[in-house]
Amino acid sequence: MSRMELYSPEGLRIDGRRWNELRRFESRINTHPNSCDGSSYVEQGNTKVICMVQGPMEPSSRSQADSAGATIEVNLSVASFSTFERKKRSKSEKRMVEMKATLERTFQQSVMCHLYPRTLISIDIHVLAQDGGLLASMANAVTLALIDAGVAMYDYVSCISVGLHDQTPLLDLNGLEEQDISTLTIGVIGKTEKLALLMLEDKMPLDHLESTLGIAIAATHRIRDLMDDEVRKHGNLRSSKLAKN
Amino acid sequence: MILSPAERAYLYESLVQKPAIRPGARSDHQFRPLEAKTGFLPNSNGSARIRLNDGSECIISVKSKVVVTRGESSLIEVDIDVPGFRDDSNFVSNLKFSLTNLLITKFPVEYLRLTSKYSFKLFIDCIVISHSSYPLSLISLTSYLALKTTRLPLLTSEVNDEEIEEQPTFSDDWDNAKYIHPTFQPPIFITLGVIGENLLFDPSIEEEQVLENGLILSFYKDKVITPIINMNLATNSNNSNFKGLNQKLIIQSINLCNKYCPAIIKALDTLIEQDDENDDTDNHIF
Amino acid sequence: MEVAEVISITKPSSSRPFEDVDDDNDSDVEMNNTTNQSIVTPGELITDDPIWMKGHGTYFINDKTYSSVAGTVSRVNRLLSVIPIRGRYQPETGDHIVGRITEVGNKRWKVDIGAKQDAVLMLGSVNLPGGILRRKSETDELQMRNFLKEGDLLNAEVQTIFNNGIASLHTRSLKYGKLRNGIFLKVPSSLIIKSKNHAFDLTGNISCVLGVNGYIWLYKTNVNNPTSNNNNNNSNNSNNPSITRLEEESSWEIYSDKNDTTITNSIRSNITRYYNIIKALSYCELGITEQRISMGYEASLAYVNLGSLNDKDAMETICQDIINNEKMRGIN
Repeated sequence: MSRMELYSPEGLRIDGRRWNELRRFESRINTHPNSCDGSSYVEQGNTKVICMVQGPMEPSSRSQADSAGATIEVNLSVASFSTFERKKRSKSEKRMVEMKATLERTFQQSVMCHLYPRTLISIDIHVLAQDGGLLASMANAVTLALIDAGVAMYDYVSCISVGLHDQTPLLDLNGLEEQDISTLTIGVIGKTEKLALLMLEDKMPLDHLESTLGIAIAATHRIRDLMDDEVRKHGNLRSSKLAKN
Repeated sequence: MILSPAERAYLYESLVQKPAIRPGARSDHQFRPLEAKTGFLPNSNGSARIRLNDGSECIISVKSKVVVTRGESSLIEVDIDVPGFRDDSNFVSNLKFSLTNLLITKFPVEYLRLTSKYSFKLFIDCIVISHSSYPLSLISLTSYLALKTTRLPLLTSEVNDEEIEEQPTFSDDWDNAKYIHPTFQPPIFITLGVIGENLLFDPSIEEEQVLENGLILSFYKDKVITPIINMNLATNSNNSNFKGLNQKLIIQSINLCNKYCPAIIKALDTLIEQDDENDDTDNHIF
Repeated sequence: MEVAEVISITKPSSSRPFEDVDDDNDSDVEMNNTTNQSIVTPGELITDDPIWMKGHGTYFINDKTYSSVAGTVSRVNRLLSVIPIRGRYQPETGDHIVGRITEVGNKRWKVDIGAKQDAVLMLGSVNLPGGILRRKSETDELQMRNFLKEGDLLNAEVQTIFNNGIASLHTRSLKYGKLRNGIFLKVPSSLIIKSKNHAFDLTGNISCVLGVNGYIWLYKTNVNNPTSNNNNNNSNNSNNPSITRLEEESSWEIYSDKNDTTITNSIRSNITRYYNIIKALSYCELGITEQRISMGYEASLAYVNLGSLNDKDAMETICQDIINNEKMRGIN
């Protein structure tokens, strides 16, 4: 297949976006109120992720009871139909294991785990469709589901992927772009510039790293605001519903 | 799920009354209300989601692939994923076997034949997002919706390709895509709980804990068909009531299904019609 | 045959129920201890005034207090906390709860109360057969399973919260102990509104233990021992039934697994009616109180076929009736 033009001289990408434009971001909180403590649904472009949180709760095995703080366990399941070509994925696939570990590490830091000694926070993620930026969408969904579960966190963790095409950073890559461009995924704590998550598996020239990170951080702040809107909308509705005696 | 002895006794006593007094006051042939949606996965040929009030939920995608008919042992492949259970666990294997078996024996495969050499192969992937009672019936109702709304691209090449080397070609226009067959009606499973002389449709997880037996009936084209399976629906429980099955009840269960299942099919079909009408307005899953 | 009698299949509601109703409610509802209606979200600065003590749901850096959850701000005296909108039950001393035994251990039971950690019930915190003055012996330790075993349901009061957050329960009052003659259901604990009395009698010979933790027990009213005892208004541990009465009741009876033999079908069907009303309140996310359950009962009388109360429409109608009823009585 001939190499597609990922970034035209006019400054347009294959899906018509400019370099600094995000894809459509939609999120819902409390999507599964009857089956778990917290839940969310995130769509970033055509990537669609469901997240469900159980806990903090009594762990089923004593090995998960840590007196210093909560244990966070992430279970990832990627549907066979999530890609255009159907493919059955095993949970032990290296990429899956890596993402699971990354998410566990990220949220072990961002959740105030010390408040919940000897408990387990179990996070189930279902990927229904993937089209680039999978790790970012999953982390955003986890943040929302944890907030829905009422788990104490220092701040939102908002995530985005960014690529470097020649010298131009491209925000929020879709699946096609991700195949050909070096990709960096970052997760930022709230409106700060502190990184809770960083994943770079490809080569990226060091002298462009700073500008790339800069634009990515700005994008995560935007994502944070979008998620915050959804949380507030839902929260205000809900708090007004409870009768006050 | 473990109930206390007093709870079990109370529940048992209530369910053996004539008519049974079920915890949610459902009549013995009343299903739990469902919320359902179809056609929300653009990358699949068909998709459906069903959710019960108790939070049980199943998502199914149907994808097609063009295959050489002779090279395939079956044109239908079912896969079921239940979080918390390994793919090779008994629980998942049983679900998968039951559904595969029902679909393969009752699926009119001729509808999938494209040309003399080629066919569509359907991949039915189920994700049981969460479940409390035995999920087979939930999965099969979801698969009914997914299969009924599955659309396959329109063949534009010759049907008789015995002498032709090329692969079949299809219309590019998705609007030309066809449903599997206008009269096609996938088979479904119905779960019944047996307690005393009562047969309870769609038992909830609490009811499952005190049942004397469980029946799973298959229903296809307005009547009950085989397989009819009996099993202990409660998994991981202390159900001590489980006992043998009175043959009279089996006949009775078939009659009840013949009487009430057409209503279920009708309700499912009505939903599909509604989803069809406002097709593009609402593509959100949740 | 009517399809509706067999099954109801609906599309998921994209708009949330009661959205319109709430908009005009917003201005009327006064909330205690909160400064404004809108919620705070994680990472939001609540105040930079160092005078506040930080409570649950907050953290502070350099004298600035931030929220760690999404919820409403509560200011009680100088204690600033954020109450999450949703979340597991947070036990507090004095709460009347319903729980289920998960483990029998050394001189203690572990009890699932829907909190982050199982609660403990010490052998010393229960009444044993033979009266209050009886000393606990080694035989008692060996026969703990004869009193309470895995799966058993009980109602109890939270006695204390240990430093590690685990709640310790007691059943040293006649109104607590093993539960019989009814059914159990669960709702989110955030829907239970705390009040003086969480055990009450309802119309139709039914009683209810509305556990603060969202675990609920509906049962046949016990004729000998009505639940509505007014001498227990004190929400803190009040252990003042007369000793003679305790002696009398503290036989093996209190740990019996046997239900009454006289539960009639009309009582059973009344229980299912209340069951459906509570489910409806929970579906519409209305706070659950004794009064609302009673109003729901009135509203439900319009439905001859109780099974139809499972449907979304019926549940919303019931809740709408309750809200209208409250407006008319000027409660809101």
